[in-house]
Amino acid sequence: MRNILKRMLVLLLAAGMLVPAAPAKAAEKPGKIVLRVCNWEEYIDEGGWDPKEETIDLESGAILGEKSMVEDFEAWYYDTYGIEVEVEYSTFGTNEDLYNMLTIGDVYDLVCPSEYMVMKLMAEDKLVPLSDNFFNTEDPNNFYINGVSPYIQNILATKEINGEAWGKYMAGYMWGVTGIVYNPDVLSEEEAATWTIVNNPDYYRQITIKDNVRDSYFMAIGALRSELLTSESFKGDADYPKRLENVMNDTTPETIQKVQDFLQSVKNNVYSFETDSGKADMITGKVVANYQWSGDAVYTMDQADEDDYTLNFVIPREATNIYFDGWAMLKSGVEGDSAKQHAAEAFINFCSRPDNAVRNMYYIGYTSVIAGGKDSRVYEYLQWNYGAEEDEEDVVEYDVSYFFEGEGGERSHVFEVPEEQTHRQLGAQYPSGENLERASIMIYFDADQSKAINRMWINVRCYNANDIPAWAWIVGGLAVVLLGVFIVRSRINKKKIGA
Amino acid sequence: MQKFRFSRKSLGIPYALYLILFVVAPLLVLFYYAFTNGEGRFTVANLTGFFTDPNTMGTLLYSLAVAFVTTMVCLLLAYPTAYILATSKLRMKGVLVMVFVMPMWINFSLRITALKEVLNLLEGNLAMYPFLNAVVGMTYDFLPFMILPIYTTISKLDGSLREAAMDLGANEAQTFLKITLPLSVPGIISGVSMVFLPAMTNYVVLDMLYNSTYIMGSLIGSYFSAYDWHGGSMIALVLLAIICIFTLLMGGDSEENARGGALL
Repeated sequence: MRNILKRMLVLLLAAGMLVPAAPAKAAEKPGKIVLRVCNWEEYIDEGGWDPKEETIDLESGAILGEKSMVEDFEAWYYDTYGIEVEVEYSTFGTNEDLYNMLTIGDVYDLVCPSEYMVMKLMAEDKLVPLSDNFFNTEDPNNFYINGVSPYIQNILATKEINGEAWGKYMAGYMWGVTGIVYNPDVLSEEEAATWTIVNNPDYYRQITIKDNVRDSYFMAIGALRSELLTSESFKGDADYPKRLENVMNDTTPETIQKVQDFLQSVKNNVYSFETDSGKADMITGKVVANYQWSGDAVYTMDQADEDDYTLNFVIPREATNIYFDGWAMLKSGVEGDSAKQHAAEAFINFCSRPDNAVRNMYYIGYTSVIAGGKDSRVYEYLQWNYGAEEDEEDVVEYDVSYFFEGEGGERSHVFEVPEEQTHRQLGAQYPSGENLERASIMIYFDADQSKAINRMWINVRCYNANDIPAWAWIVGGLAVVLLGVFIVRSRINKKKIGA
Repeated sequence: MQKFRFSRKSLGIPYALYLILFVVAPLLVLFYYAFTNGEGRFTVANLTGFFTDPNTMGTLLYSLAVAFVTTMVCLLLAYPTAYILATSKLRMKGVLVMVFVMPMWINFSLRITALKEVLNLLEGNLAMYPFLNAVVGMTYDFLPFMILPIYTTISKLDGSLREAAMDLGANEAQTFLKITLPLSVPGIISGVSMVFLPAMTNYVVLDMLYNSTYIMGSLIGSYFSAYDWHGGSMIALVLLAIICIFTLLMGGDSEENARGGALL
């Protein structure tokens, strides 16, 4: 999803800046709405499923992606509201790419970045809040508010930036946590379940980690503060969630310095920083562990399963980063255009309809924020996907009530699963409530913090001129001198010949 | 207004438009960003910043080292190959040259992926030799660009010069050192500039072969990811300046360069 080559886009964009970035406008008929949506690459169902092989047969009815989600939305919107809408769908590779695209002047109505980018856009006053009607539970077409998991909605409604809750501007789409995919033949779960593994010399050059500053920062703090984070007194603290969040988002200069030192040593111990290759390297056995987002972890394990190669996933005992990708409406696109805003919100709702949430989950492997509310299809899908067979041995009860009911529910969303699944796809796609106690969000860093952290990252990744050994200076110097002499001599020779 | 007349000059219009739109205009934008700060005011802080930061300087030197070693390896591999190809009496010479150029017809990231597997087989664990990997990857990628210009130059050498040298009593080695080598310098220069400069910035090779140290290309990318367009543009500009200086130093033989490059 987060393609390496996409990074080159930034450069290309910079080079092509003067070329007007306005996308070719579709022929606008009066009354027809053009909705410009920008999402991650490969992050929505594109349809074309094989009815024989891929039909998801649930008790409440079969689910099959025949056409793409976007086409289905256009038809649904016309059927429901009698207005024609055309979706101009485009994609981005990283949050930063999206931000740069917006800076250059690309205009979108609805975008789907990660939570920290939504917060950045919020702080820069670039977003339009979701309308009151979007949160009206009476309207049966408001699939989002009627279906979103109470666990997720609670986070979106309580986490604030500049005094405003994220949930006011952002409707969740997919969510996940970070953890370690590992090869159980080489590592025990005990060994893999810590961020300190990245610096473990026993696995010298056998572990890959993420090539981006935020994920690396979180990992480094998790490893550096491992003792504190795993201590009973810290975990037992009445204010544990808040304290955890503060520790994981610590950006004091001393911490940044420590993180830098740590990452520099990690750089000399790990296999590589990867943007896209980690999944393949894990499957081919080049590495034994890989720092991964849970959605990609599911994909990795699925692929490995096809080769009869077993990989597991574990959430480190220190902490895990819970992240969200969510929909937000941009001022530059929809401000003052209520018809367009309606279509944008309807698009969110359509993607949140339980059957569509299942389609997207099935197609991309990430976890939808949608629990379904009264509609049980998401839960059925979960059982369909992971539930134990009747004659299966070694089964355990798996409780996902926190997700489907929130706190104070009947705790009725418990089902039997094969024991191994709790360490595998299921444990990654729907982590147990117990594991999620260690989940911390990573806040959006303001300009100064970002600057300091980005500087730290460049320090980690660059070759420092002060580290160049003396012999290299001498060799390099000699090479330059020799080259100079050679060039001058050849020039002189040429003049002689010329004369 | 004068009536538009189609002349041979008009044929240049498409290219001129292309040049203005995609070369000149972006360059101007690059200049603008490089010499302004976040508030859009003129500043040279980006320039001084580049030369005082041990990281950017370190990256520059690291890139130069990668590029230099790559170029040398390419030269050592390419010159004998080109020499043998050009001087052999084989009738199938054209086909042989084609074989050397053929890798360029395959998408380069595909080639590097294949190379990755080969290296993995040879080295066991790729991540152990980041610098070596970078050099091998770049060499693999750029070798044809070194072979072709040298081949073209040598095969166009006037054979009578060699014969004259031999007649005057020079042995094989002397003939090569005094005649063939000096006369093939334009080809070498052309090849060197076609290898050295891209090797400084082609970070995809490093990324794909697990070298986690930045070179100039990835450094510029990282500045853009951190929304620092001004610093990133300045690095791009400094790189451009280095390339210009390099080309001027090497470029005494632009005519021959053009001839060597034509085959590519």
